[in-house]
Amino acid sequence: MFWEMIKEEWRIHSTLFGNLIFALFPLLILALSFGLSLLYPLISNAISANNFWLIVHYFFLIFGVIVGGFGLLGKEFMNRRFGQESLIAYSSRSLPVSEWNIFLNFFFKDLLYYFILWILPIFLGLFLASPIISISFNALLLLFSVFLSFMLGLSASFILSSIYSYSSKFLIFILIIISIPLFFAKLNLNFLYLLPSYSLFINFSCTNLLFSILIISWFSFISLFFLRIDYNSGSRMFNNWFNNFNKFLKNSFVSKDLLDLHRSEGGLGKIIFSFIFPLALVWVLLFFFFSILPTGNFFLVFSILLGIICSSMYNWLTEFEVFSSYEFLPVKTSKIIISKFISYSFLNLVAVFILIIACIQSNSLNYFFHGLFALIVSSYYTLATTVFLTGLYPNILIYNPKIMLSYLVISMIVPVLLISVSLINPDLLLLSPLIMLINYFLLKASLAKWDSWNKFQL
Amino acid sequence: MFNYSMAESVIEIKNVNKFFGDLKAVDNISLTINKGNLFGLLGPNGSGKTTTVKMLTGQIKPSSGEMNVLGVDVLKDPIKVRELVGIIPELESPPSFLTGEEYLNFVASIRKIENPEKKINEWFNFLEFGNERKVLCKDLSRGTRQKLMFAQAFLHEPAIAFIDEPLINLDPIMQYKVKNFLKDYISKGNTIFLTTHVLEFAESVCTNLAIIHHGRLLYAGNMKDIKKKKISLEKFFLEKVKN
Ligand SMILES: Nc1ncnc2c1ncn2[C@@H]1O[C@H](COP(=O)(O)OP(=O)(O)OP(=O)(O)O)[C@@H](O)[C@H]1O
Ligand SMILES: [Mg+2]
Repeated sequence: MFWEMIKEEWRIHSTLFGNLIFALFPLLILALSFGLSLLYPLISNAISANNFWLIVHYFFLIFGVIVGGFGLLGKEFMNRRFGQESLIAYSSRSLPVSEWNIFLNFFFKDLLYYFILWILPIFLGLFLASPIISISFNALLLLFSVFLSFMLGLSASFILSSIYSYSSKFLIFILIIISIPLFFAKLNLNFLYLLPSYSLFINFSCTNLLFSILIISWFSFISLFFLRIDYNSGSRMFNNWFNNFNKFLKNSFVSKDLLDLHRSEGGLGKIIFSFIFPLALVWVLLFFFFSILPTGNFFLVFSILLGIICSSMYNWLTEFEVFSSYEFLPVKTSKIIISKFISYSFLNLVAVFILIIACIQSNSLNYFFHGLFALIVSSYYTLATTVFLTGLYPNILIYNPKIMLSYLVISMIVPVLLISVSLINPDLLLLSPLIMLINYFLLKASLAKWDSWNKFQL
Repeated sequence: MFNYSMAESVIEIKNVNKFFGDLKAVDNISLTINKGNLFGLLGPNGSGKTTTVKMLTGQIKPSSGEMNVLGVDVLKDPIKVRELVGIIPELESPPSFLTGEEYLNFVASIRKIENPEKKINEWFNFLEFGNERKVLCKDLSRGTRQKLMFAQAFLHEPAIAFIDEPLINLDPIMQYKVKNFLKDYISKGNTIFLTTHVLEFAESVCTNLAIIHHGRLLYAGNMKDIKKKKISLEKFFLEKVKN
């Protein structure tokens, strides 16, 4: 069944873009990683080799966390993914195999895919660049340790989502307990070096290895043990909230989005959780960066990155449903996209809340509006780019190398501009709302693009 | 072709082709369907029925040809067509996290139906699933979901309804009810376009029918002509498709 699932996944992507194009995807990732690695000499004065490796390992950790938050949230996700009950993960319920078994197969399939499509190419890019930038390292050990980082992130995210599936309050309680010391204490960043996979790489020892593997297997064991594939929603009956929402919002799609978020096994919680957790890591890393870099304003750069990370919530919003279930109703794609923008704006309130916390924590009250503008501009800019390039299918179309490359290039323009401005003269950020004009035109172009007949059809 | 000089045509298909890659799913079909008819499109699996329905309702674009539904050019204004007609798709289910009642309100809101409560209640009563109106769609049985799709398509009392397999998953009582409902519906001057594999059903409700095989139209005519031949629709169908 495992190989069948792999083949199925391959077919889904390759029939959308063609075998060759899909096979190009890892090569693109390799090229990007190679190119970025070549930039290292530019910053090698400020960032020592060890810190460079630290960042690499944390990058993979965060990646694991995001993938985990996104990928491992149970059956609901599998069904929603491509909306077709023809997927093996779904149809094999009719076979004499337990759901648990199916889920494990599904999990390892995803793992293999992430390894081949992302982890291996990133590693190879770095590896190929290493003679040019004259860094030497034990290649096999690095591949192993970054994979461990990824797995650490994945299993951490996995265990948190398992906890969440039992009690969201308990999870929030845990998160608060963890974040209180982070908020009040002046961070002692040395604890960052404790990441087991990193210390394994720097200083290989069997104890370190054992420690890493122990953590991963312990996390995975607990979450697998408590894994709930079939959540029980408790009550089967629901009152007509749709009408109440719709009366107030006057938009049936936004009302439906809100209900989806609320009812789908804590959809809102999942989004926030898979958003806040990586964000916390970015925060800590950024802190680390600014403790070694000579200039820059932590709060403003954080606000800009916050906006970028925010746009991942759009992927969630489009993951909830299959748009073919609207195709027989008189609805334009543009109408749905606009509604997603509105729903997205609601979710952005969470980001504003985080911004306020970051502002207080970093003592940057005099920069609050600078940060707020930067957040809003970068959030909507990244969103508009995503919508322009991928319409309602960001999770699928991003695997098309051409779209991926355009996305990386285009979506970086404004954030890089904002970050540069924040370094040169933060007050210029007060002018950033002018960029909303660009966002507006990008959105307008997207609507026209996705309404036309030639639009992508699943 | 069945053109009565008096009748008013509501669906016109002219030389329509549809390719999926190098597969010709629909091969140069031309058809005219008149107001007040209950038209059945019959054909083996994969013969192009669903593809035809989707093209007629502007859900997919034909490779070539012209289509006109209720005087609207489908290629030019697919949204307008879907505003005017009702559709029960072959595969789609109502959205998972709305209840049946909410889903019908959702559709009513998209179709801008004022005060839909009365109509929604009528449908719950007629198809006898009012006791499940507050259950999330994902927790409903297949047949109940199909009832919901039925109600959804007729909520705005469309002049034409397109139904891709009406009986699927419905129990015999419901099949009987639906059959009478459809007959009654066309008697009010509406038109129905359906596809089905249940030939007995087609025989008893359709006024006109067409047989399609490998995307090609093998036969189009009215039910009376077939009945005159004194053979069952089943036999007629098998003969046509065999050649
Ligand atoms: N999106 C698609 N991409 C490629 N081929 C398709 C697509 N949709 C349909 N086809 C092909 O077009 C042909 C006609 O399919 P269609 O669904 O119209 O048949 P059908 O008459 O409705 O069959 P059934 O009775 O099984 O519902 C089939 O060979 C099918 O495989
Ligand atoms: Mg069909």
